Amino acid sequence: MTSGSPRPRLPRGATNTVVARGYRGTWAELALPGLPPVTAALVDGHLTAARAAWEHAATARETLVAGAGRMDQEQADELRGEGFALSTASGIQPPTKVRPPAEGRLWLLTSGSTGRPKRVAHTLQSLTTVAADQPPRRWLCPYAPGSYAWWQVVTLSLAHPGQDVVFVEPDELGSWPDLALAEGVTAASGTPTFWRQALLGAGGTVARLPLEQVTLGGEPVDQSILDRLTGLFPAARVSWIYASSEAGASIAVHDGRAGFPVSWLDRSAPGRPRLSVADGELLIESDWSAEGFAGVLRTGDRAEVVGDRVHITGRTASDEINVGGSKASASAVRRVLLAHPHIAWAQVRARRAPLVGSVVAADLVLDTPVATAELTRWCADRLPDHAVPRRIRLLDEIPIKETLKSDV
Amino acid sequence: MSALSKDDVRSMMGEVLEAQGKQLPADDATLLTDIGFRSLDFSELALRVEDEVGTELNFDAPGLRSIETVADVLDFLEQLQQA
Repeated sequence: MTSGSPRPRLPRGATNTVVARGYRGTWAELALPGLPPVTAALVDGHLTAARAAWEHAATARETLVAGAGRMDQEQADELRGEGFALSTASGIQPPTKVRPPAEGRLWLLTSGSTGRPKRVAHTLQSLTTVAADQPPRRWLCPYAPGSYAWWQVVTLSLAHPGQDVVFVEPDELGSWPDLALAEGVTAASGTPTFWRQALLGAGGTVARLPLEQVTLGGEPVDQSILDRLTGLFPAARVSWIYASSEAGASIAVHDGRAGFPVSWLDRSAPGRPRLSVADGELLIESDWSAEGFAGVLRTGDRAEVVGDRVHITGRTASDEINVGGSKASASAVRRVLLAHPHIAWAQVRARRAPLVGSVVAADLVLDTPVATAELTRWCADRLPDHAVPRRIRLLDEIPIKETLKSDV
Repeated sequence: MSALSKDDVRSMMGEVLEAQGKQLPADDATLLTDIGFRSLDFSELALRVEDEVGTELNFDAPGLRSIETVADVLDFLEQLQQA
């Protein structure tokens, strides 16, 4: 089996610097792994993933990149049957059915938050959503290799000169501010949970970072976390992005406010996704969507118009809590909790209960000790009775998954 | 974890009411309607008991009967812990 043929023109960011555990150099200096032309690279770290990405960018081929732990044996066998060679730490397993590559196709696995991860098809072009040249920046990339957000940072660096990348391995997530400071990171992208955890655990170091760009995405972005970040980095551009593997990057907001302007709804503009809300759900029609997802895509995300903004507050399927026939919104309760000055993180869910079927329960992380009774009063002053959390559990630290999310 | 005594549960019931600025009277014959102890409060109390004993209570076991007084609540939750 032979590797793909070289592309006639290398990506413009080929000389950008890449820093990953075990490597410091440019994209172009990365040793190519010599992968078969149709490969699923099941990687054990960012360096292996970056090599697979660079080989994809530099040669004509078809590639899937994912963390090795994301795929079970059944899925791996399926891939081999569909023509993929599997590249793992222990070597290359050939496909059980050989076929030519769909040149340029990049496969991503969805997060799997709504079931088994699905494969969605993109290209480097469809993942490169930043078109204009950018001021030189050194990006922190804490996302899991092969995820949509990971590719967003990687394609930015591949496509635009001056965009360096510093990758953070999962075991470095707790100390990323030190790494970022040492590496001179000037731009960082992460989920709200990622930022909350950093501010809670290493706020002093985070405040010393010379950040010019702060980006949030992957979870509902509320005003409290935006306020904290804009307060900490007054000179930086603080942006939140709505993106998914299926819909692509669809919304980018840079004004420091939660939600996007209502005027963006049902607007048709060349090159911009068309956004709409139906039955409380965000719908997107985008040129950046994955292959096979053209047309109007139901996102499953709840959209709520508040004044002149449209807030994306969580999944439609898990937002509603039925408390004895009265409906409580988990996202609304969470918003109230996060507005408390000493609540650093909150997760709101239904808990099965006698008589009323379920009650609202909350898991919280505080930055300063506060009596539970005071937290209950805070909610009771701002929410209908049935929506006040009846059980509050205080956690020692913010739970965070490999996706940098905490399923709020 | 062992079952909670009636006094323990009574103390928790007082906390549920106190969080709403209400008081649990000394007389266990007091009607729940008189002190504003509602279904939601009962549910919260049951969850507090579950969390304390570390096991889920089986509400199907004794069947939900008429619960009108403070004593009814305490008796019922005692019975549930034994079910």
